[in-house]
Amino acid sequence: MKELPLNGDVKGKRKKSVSSLAKTKKRSDYFWAYVMIAPTMLGLFIFYLWPILQTFYYSFTEWGAFGQHVWIGLENYKRMLTDANLFQSIKNTAIYIIFTVPIGIFLSILVAVLLNQKIKGKTVYRTLYFLPVITMPAAIAMVWRWLYNADYGLLNYLLSLFGIKGPHWVSDPKIALYSIIVVAIWSGVGYNMVIFLSGLQGIPRVYYEAAEIDGAGPFTVFFKITLPLLSPVIFFVTIMSLIGAFQVFDLIFMMIGKGSTALEHTQSIVYLFYQHAFVLNDKGYAAAIAVVLLIVILIITAIQMALQKKWVHYD
Amino acid sequence: MEKTKRLFTGKTFLIHFILILGSVAMVVPFLWMILTSLKTYGESIHVPPVLIPKDLQWGNYKEVFDLLPFFKFMLNTFIVTVARTVGQLFLCSLAAYAFARIEFPGRNFLFLLALSVLMVPGQVFLLPQYMIMVKLGWLNTLQAVIVPGLFSAFGTFLLRQFFMGLPKELEEAARLDGCNHFQIYWRIMLPLAQPGLIALGIFTALWSWNELMWPMIVNSSPDKMTLSVGLASLQGQYLTNYPILMAGSFLAILPMLILFIILQKQFIEGIALTGGK
Amino acid sequence: MKKWLIMLVAIVLGLLGLAGCSSSDKSSGESKDGKVEITYGFWDKKQVPAINEIIKKFNEKYPNIKVKTEITPYGQYFQKLETAATGGALPDVLWMNGAHVQQYAEGKVIIPLNDLVKKDDYSLDNYPKSLVDLYTVNDQVYGIPKDYDTIGLWYNKKIFDDAGVAYPDESWDWNKLKEVAKKLTNKDKGIWGFASTLMNQEGYYNFIWQNGGEIVSADGKTAGFDKPETIEALKFDVSFIKEGLSPTQAQMTETAASELFSSGKIAMMFDGPWMVPEYKKNPDINVAVLPKGKQRAVSIHGLANVIAANTKHKDAAWKFVQFLGSKDAAEIFAKTGTVIPAYNGTQDAWLKSVPNMNLKVFIDSAEYSVPLPSVKATGEIWQYEVDVLKKAWSLEVSVEDAAKELNKMANDALAKN
Repeated sequence: MKELPLNGDVKGKRKKSVSSLAKTKKRSDYFWAYVMIAPTMLGLFIFYLWPILQTFYYSFTEWGAFGQHVWIGLENYKRMLTDANLFQSIKNTAIYIIFTVPIGIFLSILVAVLLNQKIKGKTVYRTLYFLPVITMPAAIAMVWRWLYNADYGLLNYLLSLFGIKGPHWVSDPKIALYSIIVVAIWSGVGYNMVIFLSGLQGIPRVYYEAAEIDGAGPFTVFFKITLPLLSPVIFFVTIMSLIGAFQVFDLIFMMIGKGSTALEHTQSIVYLFYQHAFVLNDKGYAAAIAVVLLIVILIITAIQMALQKKWVHYD
Repeated sequence: MEKTKRLFTGKTFLIHFILILGSVAMVVPFLWMILTSLKTYGESIHVPPVLIPKDLQWGNYKEVFDLLPFFKFMLNTFIVTVARTVGQLFLCSLAAYAFARIEFPGRNFLFLLALSVLMVPGQVFLLPQYMIMVKLGWLNTLQAVIVPGLFSAFGTFLLRQFFMGLPKELEEAARLDGCNHFQIYWRIMLPLAQPGLIALGIFTALWSWNELMWPMIVNSSPDKMTLSVGLASLQGQYLTNYPILMAGSFLAILPMLILFIILQKQFIEGIALTGGK
Repeated sequence: MKKWLIMLVAIVLGLLGLAGCSSSDKSSGESKDGKVEITYGFWDKKQVPAINEIIKKFNEKYPNIKVKTEITPYGQYFQKLETAATGGALPDVLWMNGAHVQQYAEGKVIIPLNDLVKKDDYSLDNYPKSLVDLYTVNDQVYGIPKDYDTIGLWYNKKIFDDAGVAYPDESWDWNKLKEVAKKLTNKDKGIWGFASTLMNQEGYYNFIWQNGGEIVSADGKTAGFDKPETIEALKFDVSFIKEGLSPTQAQMTETAASELFSSGKIAMMFDGPWMVPEYKKNPDINVAVLPKGKQRAVSIHGLANVIAANTKHKDAAWKFVQFLGSKDAAEIFAKTGTVIPAYNGTQDAWLKSVPNMNLKVFIDSAEYSVPLPSVKATGEIWQYEVDVLKKAWSLEVSVEDAAKELNKMANDALAKN
C-alpha cells in the first residue's frame, strides 16, 4: 500500500525542524481522523441529526393530500391538549412501562442468580430462555395472539381444565394491555438475563468467600453483596428497558385487530404516531407526537441519571 | 462444573424446579407454533384442541410459498441483514478508531454530536427519513432499508470503548515502523477488537432481521419486503387462518434459529458485551 | 488496494445521499426505437394470471408498448400511491376505487378522460351507468370501469339440512332472516346462525339502504348516520350479536367470520363475489340474494382503470386503458372466475366459470344496487365508522349514541373538504 500524495509526511520536501515534523505528523493525524469519521458522521448527519430538526419543523405544519405542507404554528400542540386518544395512549404506555420494566428486571435477575449457582444444565436453560430474544416480534405476536384466542386458544383450554372460563385476552379492553405486557416480559427476560449473568460473573469470588466465613445466609449475601455490586448493571438495564418500553409498537400492531375495541386501550404513543404518520396522513401531528415522545424520554433519562447517585454503587 | 453429592439437595431441587417452570413457559409457544402449523384449519379450531395433528399438513408450508414470494422475502431479509451488518461494522469501527486513538480538533464536539443520536427515540427520525426516501425515489427498494442502517451512533460508541481499552504500545511501535492510521486500524486494532465486532455484528444482525416498522413504511411491494413485513401482510390477507400463519411464522424465524444454534456462544457473549459497557 | 476501494465507496455513498436530497427525478420508460414502457399498478394477486394474458393480447396489437406490472397489497396500496403521487411517480395506469377517486381527481394526480373518449369515439354505454357515475367527478370521467361486485347471502347447506330448514330464496325478508338465524344457532355445537360483521360494503350499508336510510346525502354535504331509518337498520344488524345469534365483535376480531363460515361454524353471512375462488372448494357453500327490508337494495362497487397525471406516455396509457376496458379483456377476466367484468354482456362467462353456485344473484341484484358514497371524505369517514361503530358492535355503547357520534365526525369531515 502506498501513501496517499496528500499525506503530510511526504508532502514537505523542505528542511524539517523537529517542530515542523511534529506539525506534519499532526496534520496527517487530522487528515486520517476526518477521513475515518467522515462516512459515519455524514450518514448520521443526513439520516439522524438533520431529521431531528426536520421533525421539529414538521411539527408546526399541516399536511395536505399529496405531500404539500403549510405552516400552522402551534396548532398541532394545541390539538394534543384535547386529544383523548393521545392521553389514553400515554396512559397505556405508562402502564406498559410500569409493569414490563420492573417485573422484567426482577425476573431476569432471578433467573440470572439461579443460573449463577452450581447446577447442571446451565447452558440448556440459558439457551431456552434466550430463544424469544432471537425470534422476530412479528412472529412472537402472531403465536401469542393464537395462544390467547378466546374460543380456540391453548390458554383458555388449559384454564377450562380447571373449570375456569378464560376471558378474551386480546379483545377485552380491560385485559388486552396486560396480555401484551406478559408477552413483552416473556420475550425480554432472556436478553436482560444474559447481561445480568455476565454482571454476576464479574463479581469477585472473594466477597462471597468472606461472607461464607462470616456465616451469612443466602438472602443476606444477595442483598448485601450481589445487589449492590450489580447495581451499575441494573442501572444500565433499567435505562435501556425504559427507552425500549417507551417505543413499544410491533406487539400491539400485530396482536390487536383494527376492529377491536381494545385498540384504544392498548395503543401506545408510538402506535398513535405510526397511525397519524402513515395511515391517516396526518404527518404534522405525528411529528408533534414524536417531539413530545423525545422530550418525555429525555426527562425520564435525566431523572434516572440524577437518582442513580442514591442507589448505584461504582467501585 | 464440579460434581458433588449435594446435587439433589433441597436447594438445587428448588432451583431446578423454578428454572424448568420458566423453560416450559419459554418453549411451549414455539411448540404450539410448530404443532398448529401442521394442522388442518378444522383441527386448529377444534374444541377441545387437537394436540397432535392426525395427518401432518405439510401443505400449509407449501401454501405459504404459494401465497407469498417467501423465498424472495428471505433473500431480501438476508441481503438487508448482511449489508447492514457488514457496512455498520466497517463504518463504525473506522469512526470509533479515530475517536478513540487520534487527537484532532473538534473530536469531543463531534463525538458528543454522534452520541446525542443515542438519546433520541427512533420515531423522531422516521418521518424525515421517509421523505428523503420519497425524494430519492427509493421507496420499494432494498437500499431504502439498508442505507439508513449503515450508520450507527450506538455501534460507534460501543467500538470506541473497545479501542480505548487497547494498550498504547502496540500503536506506537507500528507508527515507528511507518504505518499510517488506516494501516494501524486495519492490521493491528481491528483484529484486537474482534470481540467487540462480533458483539456489534450479532446485535445489528438480530435487529435488521427482525425489524418491522421501517421496512414496512418504505417497502410495500412484495418484491422488496422483508420477512417481518411479509408476516404482517400474511396476517392482513389471511386474517386468522392460524395453521398458515403459524407455518409462515416458523419459516420466518427458522434461519435465525439455526444461526443461533450454531453460534450460541457468540450470540450470548455478544449480547452480554453490548449490555455490559 | 481493496480496502481503499471499500473506503472510497463508503465516502461516495455518503456524498451521494447528501446530493440525493435535492434531486429526485426518476424517469420511467425510455423511448428508443419507438418502444415505450408503461407501468400498471394494482393490488389483487389473484388477478395476475388474467392480467398477464391480457397484456399478451394487448402486445399482439401494440407490440411497441411494453407493460410492466406493479402489485401492492390492498392494505398499503393507497398509502403507497399517495407517496408516489407526491413524488410524481405514480404508475402510468392504475386501479382506482370509488372511495378515492374524488380525492385523486381533485388533487389533479389522475387525468380526466373526456377528451380522449371523444377523440376516439369510445363508448361508455358498455358499462353499467352506476359505475360510470362513480368515476365521474365534476362532470368529468376519470376512470373506465373494470369490474364490479354486489353482495349476496352466503349460506352453508349442511347446517340448513341438519336443522331441516329450507335454503334462502327471493321471498326472504329481515324477519325471515332473524327467524332462521335463531333456528340454526346451536350453542352446543358452537354454530351461529348469522355473522353481523363490522363491514360497510359487505354488511350494514345494505341494511341501511334496504331500510331507506342513507350514508351521505345526495348532494354530498351531510351525513345520514343519525337518520331514524339508518339507526333502525344498524340496530337490526347489531341485534344478532345481542341475541347471541352471531359471534361477538371480540370473537370476530380474534377469528375472522369468513374463516368460521368456511369451516361450518356460521350458517349465513353477507359477503361479496370475491369469496368465490375461496368458497368454491367447499361443496356445502352456496349463495342467495340478500333478504329484503322495506325495499330491495344492495351495495355495488366497482374498480376502474385510471391514468396518472405524471405519465410520460399518455397515448400509450390510453391505448392500454381502452384495451383493458374492451370486451376481449372482460372475457379473459370472466373466464378466470375472479371478478364480474363490467363490460355488459360478458358476465355470462363469469357465471359459467363456477356453474355449481348460484352466482347469478350478484348480477341480477345490480339492477337495484346503490353505489358506495363517493365524496372526497369517504376514506376518512370509513376510518371513523370503524372507530365508532365497533363500540356499538361490542355492545359498549348504544347504537343511537354511536350513530350520533359518528354522524358528527362524518359531518365535520364533509365540511372540511
